[in-house]
Amino acid sequence: MLVFTRKRGEAIMIGDGIRIEVLRVGREGVRLGVVAPPEIAVHRQEIYDQIREANQKAASSPQDLGEVAKRLRQRA
Amino acid sequence: MTVARNLTPVAVRPAAATVAPASPDTIRFPHGLPGFESCRGFVLMTSDVLGPLQCLKSVEGPAASFLVIDPRRVLADFRCDLSEGDRARLGVDDQDTLLWLSLVTIELDGTITVNLRAPIVVNPALMVGHQVVPYHCVYPIRYVVSEGR
Repeated sequence: MLVFTRKRGEAIMIGDGIRIEVLRVGREGVRLGVVAPPEIAVHRQEIYDQIREANQKAASSPQDLGEVAKRLRQRA
Repeated sequence: MTVARNLTPVAVRPAAATVAPASPDTIRFPHGLPGFESCRGFVLMTSDVLGPLQCLKSVEGPAASFLVIDPRRVLADFRCDLSEGDRARLGVDDQDTLLWLSLVTIELDGTITVNLRAPIVVNPALMVGHQVVPYHCVYPIRYVVSEGR
């Protein structure tokens, strides 16, 4: 892992188009600003991890799908 | 390949690199799905028995299949705004033409949940899809539609 020491207002560049700036350093955390091209998705890691985990659970959904579909139809 | 022609060059590069001639029914997912990054092509299957569910099945890369449902079947007023980046990835200007699919999970006790937080959006005109993670979203990842035993 690359490690940088940065002060408020300083930034790092990743490739040509991604810039991460330290906006504020406080007791509760560090506030970062990210500038990235639109095709690069930027998320808090925990959100991405939650979605990945949910996807993995969804992929292993088992059993009688006809029955599941019926329950959903009854609900509607 | 119409996908390559109609998308912005930057957005399409990953897809173009991995494209194999595929069935016209194949929906391209240039980034796969989180956790299934190498699944780059899916088909959407429907049947009377399955309705209102549909099955999204991987046809490229590792085998994977998901049950999906239109989020508006779950929550009639479901609404989600696409970011500029999502629109670029999907090659769209107009949200009305898009197909929205939420992943369905059947938990061990039979509880049925739907992921309304990160819907899959497909642009049928280009047959390209993407799982979007809106920055501001009031819906949960695990929205319970039917309790289990």
